[in-house]
Amino acid sequence: MTRHTRILMSCIYWAFALYLLLPLALMMLMGFKDARFIGFPITSWTLDWYIGVFADRQVMFTFGYSTLIAILSTAIALVVGTWIAVTLTGRAFFGRAVILGLTLLPAVIPGVISAIAFRIYARVLGIEPGMWAIIWSHAVHNVPFVVLVVMARLSTLPRSQAEAARDLGADPLVVFFRITMPYLTPAMIGAGVFCMLLSFDDFVRSYFLGGYDPTLPVLIFAKLRSGMSPEVNAISTVVLVLTAVLGIWAERSMRRIKKQANR
Amino acid sequence: MPDLPPQSPADPSGPPTFWGRLTAWSLYRALTGLVFASPRRQFWMLILFPVIWVLVAHLGPILQMMQVSFLSSYPPSAGKEVVLTTANYSRFFGDSIFLVPFWRTMVFSVVLTLTTLVLMYPVAYFLARHVRRDNQLLFLMLLLIPFWVGEIVRIYAVMIILGNNGALNLLLRWLGLIERPIPFMYTNFSLSVGIVYLTALYMLMPLYSALEKIPANYSEAAADLGAGPWTRFFRVTLPLSLEGVGAGCTLVFLIATGMYATPVLLGGPNTTLFSQTIAGFFHVAGDQWPTGAAFSTIMLVTALVVAGAFNRIIALLSGRVAK
Repeated sequence: MTRHTRILMSCIYWAFALYLLLPLALMMLMGFKDARFIGFPITSWTLDWYIGVFADRQVMFTFGYSTLIAILSTAIALVVGTWIAVTLTGRAFFGRAVILGLTLLPAVIPGVISAIAFRIYARVLGIEPGMWAIIWSHAVHNVPFVVLVVMARLSTLPRSQAEAARDLGADPLVVFFRITMPYLTPAMIGAGVFCMLLSFDDFVRSYFLGGYDPTLPVLIFAKLRSGMSPEVNAISTVVLVLTAVLGIWAERSMRRIKKQANR
Repeated sequence: MPDLPPQSPADPSGPPTFWGRLTAWSLYRALTGLVFASPRRQFWMLILFPVIWVLVAHLGPILQMMQVSFLSSYPPSAGKEVVLTTANYSRFFGDSIFLVPFWRTMVFSVVLTLTTLVLMYPVAYFLARHVRRDNQLLFLMLLLIPFWVGEIVRIYAVMIILGNNGALNLLLRWLGLIERPIPFMYTNFSLSVGIVYLTALYMLMPLYSALEKIPANYSEAAADLGAGPWTRFFRVTLPLSLEGVGAGCTLVFLIATGMYATPVLLGGPNTTLFSQTIAGFFHVAGDQWPTGAAFSTIMLVTALVVAGAFNRIIALLSGRVAK
C-alpha cells in the first residue's frame, strides 16, 4: 500500500470514530443546557438536570430494577452456557451438531421476532409479563454468547491437568470446580459483563415482556416519545458513563487474569 | 515395597480443606457414587439438562409461535371456537398495507448491510494492518465504548444530531449552505443513519478478526511476484477475508431486520418497517395474535433464507479461491 492510501485510511478511521463518538459527546453536553428545549446553540449552563436524575425516585427505582434483571439473567446464562459448553467440548456423540445448532439459535433470530415468540410462549405457559419473563428471555438470548466464549477458552485447556486430578482420585465434580472452572474464569467474567450490558441495554424484549414497571431503556423510550428534554440527556449520560466504566474494567481485568494464567 | 497406607484424596496432610470435607461427606459420596457410576451414566447426567434447556427455552417459543400462527383465535376466549386455518397467512399476501413494509424492510436491510460493509472494510483494514499491535486495542476500545451503550441511548444521540435544531443543521447554517433547517428526521435518511450507527460494530469486529489473521508476508510475496496494490487486494486480501465478510453481513442483516425501537423513533409515516407492522398486532386489544405470529413466521423464514443464501454464496466464492 502506498503512503496516500494509508493516510486516506487513517482519515476514514478517524471520521468513523468521530461519527460514533460525536453524537454521544453532544448528547452529554446537552444535559448541561439550562432550558427545556433541546437544540443548539447552548447559551446558559446548569447542573440541575443531573441533580434531578439522582433525586427522581422513579428513575432510581428503574435503575435498580434493570440492574437486578441484568444480574439475575446473567447468572442464569452463565450457569447454563458453561454447562452446555462443557457438555459439547471434547466429545463426539450422535446429535452434537443439532444441539450446538439449537444452542446458537437465539443469536440468529431477529430481535422483534424473538420478543414476540417469548410473549406468546409466556402466555401459553402462564408466566405473567414482568420481571421473571424479562429475566428468562434475556438469559435465553445471552446463552449463545456464553457458550461461544467458554467453548473457545475450553478448547485451550490442557487435558493433562484434568487427567492428573482424576488419577489422584478426584471425581468429575471436583475436577470441574477445582481445575476447569478456575481456568474458565477470565472467559466467564468477559462473557458475564457482556451479558450484563446486553441485558441492561435491551429494549425490545423488555418492552414486549414487561409488566407495569419499565426497565431503564423502556423508561427512556417512553420519555422520548413524549418529547425530548435535557432530563433524558442526563439519564442517558449517567447510563453511558456507568456502562463505559464497567466495560473498560472488564476488559482490563480479563487481560490481567489471562496474563497471570499464561505465566 | 512395604505396604504404605493408601493415599486418600479426602484425607490430605494438613488441616482439612473445604473440598476434603465435602468429598468425605457420606451424603456427597452416596450421590456422586450414584451419578458418576459409569462414564455412560456421567454422560447422560451431563447432557440431560442442555437437551431439555435448548428444547424448552430455545426451540419452544419459535415452535409455539408457528403453532399459534395457524389458529383462528388466540389467546383463548370464552365462546369462540378455535380451528386450524391458513387465513393468517393469506391475509399477508392479499394486502399492500402489509406487503409494502415487508419489502421495504428486506430492501432496506440488504442495502444497509452492503453500505455498512463498504464503510467498515477500510476501517477494519486500517486497524488490522496499519496500527501497531500494541495500539490496536486502544484504537478498538475507542470504537467499542459507544457500542456498549444501549440502543435507545444511541438512537437519542442520533436524534440530537439530525433534529431541526440539531448539530448538523446548525453546522450547515453556520457554513451558509442553507437558509432554513433541512428536515432530516423521520425520513429514510435518518433511519439509515441510525441503523448504520447501531450495527457498524457488528460488521467491524468479524472483518477485523478475519483481516488480522492474514499474514502480512502473503501480500509481500505477491508484491515480489509483481502484483500491484489493487491486484494484491483483490486476489489475496479480499478472498482471505471472505469469512469475516460473511459473518459480519449475516449479523448486520439479521439485526437490521429485527429492529423495532429504531424505526419507531427515527422513522416517519413513510418508512414503516415490518417489525412495526408485527408489533401493531400485539398492541391493539382483540384477536390479532395469530396474525402477528403468522407475519413473524414469514419474516423469520425470509430473513434466515436470505442470510443462509448469502452464506452459501460466500462459501462457494471462498471454495473457488481455495482451489
